[in-house]
Amino acid sequence: MQSLTRQTFIAGLTLAGLAFPAAAFAQGAAKVGAPAPAFQAVDVEGKTRNLQEFAGKTVILEWTNHDCPYVRKHYNSATMQNLQKDMAKEGVVWLSVISSPQGEQGHVDAARAKELTVQRNAAPAGILLDPKSVMARAYGAQTTPHMYIIDPKGTLAYMGAIDDKPTSAASSLEGAKSYVRQAVAELKAGKPVSEASTKAYGCVVKYAPLS
Amino acid sequence: MRLYFGKRFLRGAALALGLFAPGLALAAESAAVTSPRVNATLLSSRDAVAPGERFKVALVQKLAPQWHTYWLNPGDSGEPTQIKWDLPVGASAGEIQWPAPKAIRVEPLVNFGFEGTLLLPLEITVPADAKPGETFALKAEATWLVCEKICIPEEGSFSLDLPIAAASTADEVAEARIDAAIASLPQPAAFRGKLRDDAGKLVLDLPGLPAGAADLRFFPVSDTLIEHAAEQPFAAGDKPALTLIRSSAFKLAKPEVSGVLTFTENGLPTAITLLADADSALMAAGGATESETRPAVVRIPMPVEGADLTLWAALAFALAGGLILNLMPCVLPVLFIKALGFAQLAHRSRSEVREQGLLFMGGVLVTFMVLAGAVIALGALGSSVGWGFQLQSPPLVIAFAVVMVLIGLNLLGAFEIGTSVTGLGDGLASRGGRLGAFMTGVLAVVVATPCTAPFMGAAMGYAVTQPPAVALSVFMALALGFALPVVALSFAPGLLRLLPKPGRWMLVLKQAFAFPMFATAIWLIWVASVQSGPQGVLAALVAVLAAGFAVWLVGVTRGSFLRRAFGSVLAALVVLGAGWFTVQNAIPGAATEARAGDIEAWSPERVATLQAQGKPVFVNFTAAWCITCIANERVALSRQEVKDAFARLGVVYLKADWTNRDSRIAKALAEQGRAGVPLYLFYPARKEAQAEILPQLLTVDELIAAAERAAGRNAKTAALP
Repeated sequence: MQSLTRQTFIAGLTLAGLAFPAAAFAQGAAKVGAPAPAFQAVDVEGKTRNLQEFAGKTVILEWTNHDCPYVRKHYNSATMQNLQKDMAKEGVVWLSVISSPQGEQGHVDAARAKELTVQRNAAPAGILLDPKSVMARAYGAQTTPHMYIIDPKGTLAYMGAIDDKPTSAASSLEGAKSYVRQAVAELKAGKPVSEASTKAYGCVVKYAPLS
Repeated sequence: MRLYFGKRFLRGAALALGLFAPGLALAAESAAVTSPRVNATLLSSRDAVAPGERFKVALVQKLAPQWHTYWLNPGDSGEPTQIKWDLPVGASAGEIQWPAPKAIRVEPLVNFGFEGTLLLPLEITVPADAKPGETFALKAEATWLVCEKICIPEEGSFSLDLPIAAASTADEVAEARIDAAIASLPQPAAFRGKLRDDAGKLVLDLPGLPAGAADLRFFPVSDTLIEHAAEQPFAAGDKPALTLIRSSAFKLAKPEVSGVLTFTENGLPTAITLLADADSALMAAGGATESETRPAVVRIPMPVEGADLTLWAALAFALAGGLILNLMPCVLPVLFIKALGFAQLAHRSRSEVREQGLLFMGGVLVTFMVLAGAVIALGALGSSVGWGFQLQSPPLVIAFAVVMVLIGLNLLGAFEIGTSVTGLGDGLASRGGRLGAFMTGVLAVVVATPCTAPFMGAAMGYAVTQPPAVALSVFMALALGFALPVVALSFAPGLLRLLPKPGRWMLVLKQAFAFPMFATAIWLIWVASVQSGPQGVLAALVAVLAAGFAVWLVGVTRGSFLRRAFGSVLAALVVLGAGWFTVQNAIPGAATEARAGDIEAWSPERVATLQAQGKPVFVNFTAAWCITCIANERVALSRQEVKDAFARLGVVYLKADWTNRDSRIAKALAEQGRAGVPLYLFYPARKEAQAEILPQLLTVDELIAAAERAAGRNAKTAALP
């Protein structure tokens, strides 16, 4: 595995995926403690972003879909926006990822994505558009929201739910434990992430068919 | 027998009245909470509840096409339906009994959930100090997530006001719906699985999985055990096992994993709840850092029946059923023989007669226990068997035929078995007829199995759904009822003295009884022909020949030890050879195809299709070895008036033939609370309407009336919704 570059590794996975979609999905998904899968995606400004450019920084990936009731729970209450702002203060790069393909619910173009950010007073460092679901496949994103934290060395430090209340009821936010805050705080303190992998909850990520 | 007819009718009339006077309507279903995706109601099995009772309710979700709600573990996304109860003080609600989920693929992910119409049953307990005359207010807030590709969280408030009465009243229709949902819940597995690590993969060993199981899928309750979307390769054979992929959030809170295993067995879908022990290496790898939030065990389903029948009622039904069974044609010859034996003894010793009566009862009880034990044990192993199941095996049918022929020959005096086998020969006069009396009891039960009597169906249907101890007591009551007349006779010297003195007439009568035995043998061979075709007949006749020859050999080789040894060995060889030939040739199912004839074969899908087309459907659950069934076919079903009525009303006649084993039919019987045939169902000509259960003994008038009700032609019930 070490002799492979990440790109060929992912290309290999994609090829394997053509033959055995389910198995490849299950085994090819990102793994805590391993290098985070590389990605290359166009952001809402039209710029191509990749993981390497954030080397040395902690990166949070947030899979999102503005119409999903679970996502709305976190945005309507400003919980998500506050988290984004707090993370920015910590010097953490927050990237929202939208993987719904064209024609599927949750698909947005760049203009609409920016509009949503303004409307909701959200504060991500960037919004990545992944309409072919390539990035979602590489990470094995299942739900919106689905959170991933990559440490400054490029290792995946956390993957899973945003908090410990797997419901769309707004009342659940009170007293919820933020796995993201906990993981980032532990990383900052140089401690191992105590709950590094949790079960994500939310709406299903709409995947583009493999082509 | 439950009085479905009368209650149904009354309820139908009440509903019809309710249309005009809404205030009078019986409400066992709450007002619906509706959205374009879901129509949800709270359904109660009771119109009125009694203090201290437990009754069944269900949250019903009718989902629009393509939409689904979620199981306990929703899979890769989603959220299970939840119910919060607001109940009167002292009342309590049980947990939702989850049906087996389906894997709903949203490439490349998988959700675990339900489509179509879903019933989530559970139990409510009424406090013992509830006051009759007051109202039991059932209030629930339910939340559910309903998804197609997009997801909508929905919620609904449901309320049902049920009157409290000294005795509760069932809503038959609602209850039947809930019972059917409960009947199709996953059943507890008869074995424990084992979860172990195999080079990083998870292997779930399934010892005890029925051979022929295919299309397996394991649904774990915990959502942090496996990758839900991954294939689950199955290794069949001696050590059946599923290979699973460990979840990226892998966690094991306990050394025990629970879930539902779905598979097909001979093409039929089956679901069981499974507990698996995780090996210590896995525990070390996945020991949870926090407590598990989900219930660890999938609940064991509630009993299917028993809402109508209490244990005491079932015991009373069983006793009555056993008594009536004595009048059924299968058993009469055997009972006459027993009575004859008494006649012989009556004028000699009263105590001997009593002893004989009690020994007969012993034989009956022991045989019933063996049969009940077999039914319960096979049921626990997941086989669907019922009363008369042994007659679904052609070699056993043939063996019974042979026994009948031998008894007949014995009665004619062709040979004398003495007291050793049946005691019917010399035993009549001999003092050493103890074993004979016992064996007569055994024989009486064996010949009784093809018959069911009124009251028996409901009692046995109740029994097979109960814990073994309860089931055995119901079967015991049946056995007692069956043995009672003979025992009573043996204890009633007055009655016995009415019998004429022994004499030549007894010999003549004894010989005469050989012919019912031969008739029974003929019938059994016919059953074998239905099961196995011409090969079955050949096997049966060869078996009869061999048995006769063997008995004759033993008879003519009496004398020195050598002669006897030679005769016995030769006879044993003949019997073994014939047995082997029988097993080779009497293959179940060989002839069922040919039997269906012009009557359509039953399937639940066919019933649903016909109902959807607005046709009333009559289903005859029958078997060639079921005498009651055949009697009904002769006296009612095949009558011209019935045929004319069926044709006029457009009734479609389906036949579910249980002559050979068929787990689908066994399941359908169980859903109606029955353990055996006959069962007659009339489905109304409305989509998904529940069937009416007809009595076990049919009459022409009853059938025609039921056909009219099903077709909706009867003015009184035509207003049913």
